[in-house]
Amino acid sequence: MDLSLSEYQQQLKNTARDFMERECSKETLVELDESETGYTDVIWQRASEIGWLGMLVPAEYGGAGGSLTDAAVVYEQLGSGPLSGPFFSSGVLGALIVEESGDDEQKGRYLPGIASGQDIFTLAMTEPSYGWKATSIQMRAERANGGYKLNGAKLFVHDAVAASRLICPVRTHDSDYPEDGVTLVVVDTSAAGVSTRKLSGFMGWVGEVTFEDVQVDDSAVLGEVGGGWEPLQRAFRRAAPVLCAYKVGGSQAVFDMSVEYSRTRRQFGTPIGRFQRVQDHIIGIVNHLDAARWTTYEALWKLDSGRPADTSVHMAKAVSSEAYMQACNGAHEVHAGLGVMREYGLTLHTRMSRTLYHVLGDPLHHRRLMVDTLDI
Amino acid sequence: MDFEPRYSQEQQHFRTEVREWLEQHVPKDLANPADSAKTTYEDYLKYRELGRKLGDKGWLWATAPTSYGGGGLSIDHAIVIEEELDRYDLSVPPYYDSGGRLGGASILVWGSDEQKDHFLPPIFKGEVRTWQLLTEPGAGSDLAGVKISAVRDGDEYVINGQKIYVGSSNGAEQFWMITCTDPEGERHQNLSWFIIPADSPGITVTPMDLLIAGGEGGAGTGVKNTIFFDNVRVPAFNLIGGENNGWRVATTHLELEHGSGGTIRRNRMVDHLFEYMRELKRDGKPLLEDQDARDALADFYIEAEISRLFGMRNYWMRHSHVPMSYEGPQSSFYRKSTGLKMAQRILDIVGPYALTNDPRWDLSDEHMEVYQRSSIVALHPGGTTDIQKVIMARRIGIGREVKEKQGALA
Repeated sequence: MDLSLSEYQQQLKNTARDFMERECSKETLVELDESETGYTDVIWQRASEIGWLGMLVPAEYGGAGGSLTDAAVVYEQLGSGPLSGPFFSSGVLGALIVEESGDDEQKGRYLPGIASGQDIFTLAMTEPSYGWKATSIQMRAERANGGYKLNGAKLFVHDAVAASRLICPVRTHDSDYPEDGVTLVVVDTSAAGVSTRKLSGFMGWVGEVTFEDVQVDDSAVLGEVGGGWEPLQRAFRRAAPVLCAYKVGGSQAVFDMSVEYSRTRRQFGTPIGRFQRVQDHIIGIVNHLDAARWTTYEALWKLDSGRPADTSVHMAKAVSSEAYMQACNGAHEVHAGLGVMREYGLTLHTRMSRTLYHVLGDPLHHRRLMVDTLDI
Repeated sequence: MDFEPRYSQEQQHFRTEVREWLEQHVPKDLANPADSAKTTYEDYLKYRELGRKLGDKGWLWATAPTSYGGGGLSIDHAIVIEEELDRYDLSVPPYYDSGGRLGGASILVWGSDEQKDHFLPPIFKGEVRTWQLLTEPGAGSDLAGVKISAVRDGDEYVINGQKIYVGSSNGAEQFWMITCTDPEGERHQNLSWFIIPADSPGITVTPMDLLIAGGEGGAGTGVKNTIFFDNVRVPAFNLIGGENNGWRVATTHLELEHGSGGTIRRNRMVDHLFEYMRELKRDGKPLLEDQDARDALADFYIEAEISRLFGMRNYWMRHSHVPMSYEGPQSSFYRKSTGLKMAQRILDIVGPYALTNDPRWDLSDEHMEVYQRSSIVALHPGGTTDIQKVIMARRIGIGREVKEKQGALA
């Protein structure tokens, strides 16, 4: 038993922390908050150079071929910003979907671009009838011109505007089983008939994608026609805990912020942290934080060591989504008025905690899947 | 990271050795009732006998130094022993005892060489059972406010007063306790820590009538007692850590009691709950198919898992000597507060079945019904949930420039 990071992981962590301090000041992140894509070219380029977009890409395709825990250690630091931008969408989820579903030629075609940061992938799965089960995939791809024609809309697509390529699960044939007939199609966002736009509101970098007679040829199909669901789920299972680690980083930042404020903010002639009601909020935050941290890293360990991991992955996803949101809520209780001033930085996390709450399925979705995995 | 104990080939051999030994030495007819108050005196004697035999092997307190009667073994060996005993649903030691885990830890840190030589071997070898005497009618959460008096008289101290929520059924051979040696003295600097033979004249032990007897992990206690001290004379040699230094001695065992010791045991109620879900129906439909019951099970399962992970993290930190801060009381707080929630989830899922130990309708050998009571009683031993939060806040440094340090551990 050893719950510490390896020396290599400790280095990854330090590099990422230095990067966040140097490149991603609070002012920079607050500025990015209103941007279309959530990142700057400089940040993207530096992160690509360090290799963060290829951490999970096998070495033969230009990546580092690292473990999920390696990636999680880095993404935890990115989450502490929180650094926005399509890092997870492309470097983790995109890369893993291609790896799980593509053949060798397709991996050779797509993965090097993901690893170098040249291409930006994102998953365009959910639709107006929102959900993360196979039944929710209703958009169809019809056979046309020796390829497929896509019509319809994908909604709540993360990093849709930033992406250069979309991985779209669409329905290519009907079946008694909703999992059967789902096909993954790679579509360039610059292709004729594709339009993306960012949704406004209390969410970051989530968009709508519409498809109007979008023509793709057969080579755009990732993996088997009609057989996209299983590899997609395998990719979700590996990607989810890395996203959880990002939320752990966010929760940790919110905790640190709250402890610091409890020391410096004085009311009634004393630091507010001397009041037990205030302490209760911060203790609530750290309990959520640690619950998220240890469920997440145990799930990562199980995946990396080839153990059965489904129960742990679903648990980590449910726990960390709730934890990040509750940590932010607790921090707002502690910070009161200051916490809602955008320049202070807490609301970056608050909005991110809401934005990420549903990604890859909300807590209830994962709780139910978790119970399905139990050997009762 | 590695969330599992690693076993070398040597340890695998050790496991085989332990397993075979337990196979020979754990009595076959030993009852392990959910409510430890139902453990018979005969069985208690068998548990003690098993403890002594484990002590002879150095397996009772495996990581304690051999020079004081411990096993001098590695943490990984200790885990093997715990895991193998866990297969019999037994803990180390297989009976309630505050000597090895708590009192012994304080003596190791604060005792003189002579005191260690004298007091530790009988504890670590399982020859004596030791109870802790902390709470008084007027001093619970405010433990430093104990009033029981110890007055120096020649080479002895004379003790008068009362302690409550003590021990278990079937008696003990010795006690350790904090006393007040300077009623006028400054708080935290007026207490002294003694170890006392239980058969000293003037001691009376009276069982308390409680919802159920609580305990902090390990074996159940059966009952809790009130202990009266009427001019009890104790050799000055039995004062550990010096006069009026008792609070510092206590920080060592309090640290451990506040959860810093950690645990790798899981909550077995999950298994009982599964059993009920397989067997019971609600409104004519199998409980397993009821969505509300499944959702409540998810909550229960997640809370049990988080509790397990906190305990495991602390176990690893303690035994790898990773400096700890708020983690001990956090684990304790979480276990206590979610224990109560989990009891309610069980009520939500299985209904009034959870409240009966009627042999005709109970499916869990009374574990369900006992859990409904014990989860309430578990809120207070070793510090209430509120006290755990107070310690967490100090350790985290909420509202403080300087973070409080954890108690000294060996």
